[in-house]
Amino acid sequence: MRPRQIPRVVMGLRHALLLLVSAGVACSSGDRQPADDRDGSERAGGAAAVEIVDANGRTLRLDEPAARILSLVPSATLTLRTLGAGDRLVGRTDYDTEPWASELPSVGGGLEPNLEAVVTLQPDLVVRFAGSQDRRTPQRLDDLGIPHLAVRPDGIGDVLETIRMLGLATGRTAEADSLVSAIRSDLQDLEARVAAFPRKSVAYVLGGTPPWVAGPGTYIDELLTLAGGDNVFADLEALYAPVSPEEVRSRRIDVVLASGAEAFDTSLAPDARVEVVDDRLEIPGPDLADSARRLAELLHGPLPSGPLPADP
Amino acid sequence: MNRWMLGAGLLLATVVSVLLGVRLGSVPLTTPQVLEALKGGGDPVIRDIVVQLRLPRVLLGVLVGGGLAIAGATFQALLRNPLAEPYILGISGGASVGAVLVLAFGWVAAGSWALPLAAFAGALVAIVLVFRVATATGRAMDVRVLLLAGVVVAAFFSACIAFILSISPARTIQSAVLWIMGSLAGATWRGVFLTAVYTTPAVLLLVGLARPLNLLAIGEETAHHLGADVEKVKRTSLVVAALITASGVAVAGVIGFVGLIVPHAVRLLVGSDHRALLPLSFLAGAAFLTLADLAARLALSPTEIPIGVITAFIGVPFFLVLLRRSMTTP
Repeated sequence: MRPRQIPRVVMGLRHALLLLVSAGVACSSGDRQPADDRDGSERAGGAAAVEIVDANGRTLRLDEPAARILSLVPSATLTLRTLGAGDRLVGRTDYDTEPWASELPSVGGGLEPNLEAVVTLQPDLVVRFAGSQDRRTPQRLDDLGIPHLAVRPDGIGDVLETIRMLGLATGRTAEADSLVSAIRSDLQDLEARVAAFPRKSVAYVLGGTPPWVAGPGTYIDELLTLAGGDNVFADLEALYAPVSPEEVRSRRIDVVLASGAEAFDTSLAPDARVEVVDDRLEIPGPDLADSARRLAELLHGPLPSGPLPADP
Repeated sequence: MNRWMLGAGLLLATVVSVLLGVRLGSVPLTTPQVLEALKGGGDPVIRDIVVQLRLPRVLLGVLVGGGLAIAGATFQALLRNPLAEPYILGISGGASVGAVLVLAFGWVAAGSWALPLAAFAGALVAIVLVFRVATATGRAMDVRVLLLAGVVVAAFFSACIAFILSISPARTIQSAVLWIMGSLAGATWRGVFLTAVYTTPAVLLLVGLARPLNLLAIGEETAHHLGADVEKVKRTSLVVAALITASGVAVAGVIGFVGLIVPHAVRLLVGSDHRALLPLSFLAGAAFLTLADLAARLALSPTEIPIGVITAFIGVPFFLVLLRRSMTTP
């Protein structure tokens, strides 16, 4: 059985790229008109209006930047806050547990939220999970006339795409662009720095008996690769799956990354170094470059700072 | 079928399944490699795989599978209900609540014994609760009350589990669901010894009670007239069978179908004389669960399938065929 709520596969780069391009084209008019000095006469379908193709390929049209946002996707919520639109959040889910969230009313889970609570908040934009786990919510939001935007928080490409879409929706495209390029350059910097270290064979264990491991195509696998690690379970035919204990014992593993507080039976990998990873690293969000760096430091030790040796 | 022939066949099947379980696994090994490892030599990785992972796992499969089957046979006799199975007294529910609580509070890291201990404690709570209700009416234990109390307590525990999971993060839900589905992957030599120390005398005791159980299966009144100490036999065998189930659940989670189907299958083959039924159920359960575990390890290797899926996939069709045959042949 596959766990329902674990971040799912990156749907394939091609689709993500397509979305990127279409969103870029659609937004060109919005770019020029900053959200804050809109002319009142232009409101109805004016220059501030944007069209966003969301992660499900649906086109969302907003006449003006969203001002009352309900995000059902915790990583998208982080993105909104990073873009400086945190004050437009009108609600939260039960999974947003940081201090800032405590003053906002919760609508329950991110999938199948309490619709009465959603309506009460009068959002002009609901950010929701793409994918088919929750078919009811988008239908009901359509019935209720509440605009909604599907985002896919599954991989690095998805995170960057989500940042762009939310930049458009909030009229903060400049912030979104600079955030995306900051993440890109941080990741490039990291790759250059870890290139000096020998690559490590890594098993990413999510706990359980038999142990659950992260396979290829997962966000964790992407981060590991960037951080200078090779996933020893790259042959897994699933995103996350329980593997026979003897598979763990028989494979050459340099580092076991044990997620969260889950216990890992160290006798399965006596020669490996076992590091406990904060499971917040598994949430694909705007701080993904930091997550990759922290993984890299777990694998290789402190990274040298200062200018890169191979800097052009 | 002759019970001695069936007994010899099942014994052979158990031995073969144990050998296969040690020989085969997700990591391909050769027979000389396995033999070398069993002798304590060879590559240390292979030695660990054979001696520390496969062997205890296979032996735990024998103990838990056999234990569940004999417990199921005992419950079916005592409750005089073909639907009776080891978990019918809410034992799986109680054990699951214990395990889910441990997972929800994140106590797993505190020590690998937290989970089995909590599961065992939960199972004991269920047993005590159900028995107290069943004996509250008077001196004699009423098995109908026992059955009803078990069903109701089980329903209550599932509600508790649903509640705990509904307020838990996705990670806890995943771990809990996996635990509830059962697995032998956590087998250790310590777990095997503890289970063996408990299960072996318990199984012998139940087999020793086979004759009074035969009488009880006819009816309590009759058994009483035929000189059986009905109350004592009932209580002893129920408690012993319940505890076998509890220890099995504690080390391997909730593994379904073994305790329901294996005793029925054996009964269809040799009849319902408990002197044959109980030991043969143990052997059949042991062989069945060991083979099911092997299939769980091999089918999608390196991934493991929950063993409960295999017991149901193999057990149910096999049982339906037996059932049909028993209907058509007089």
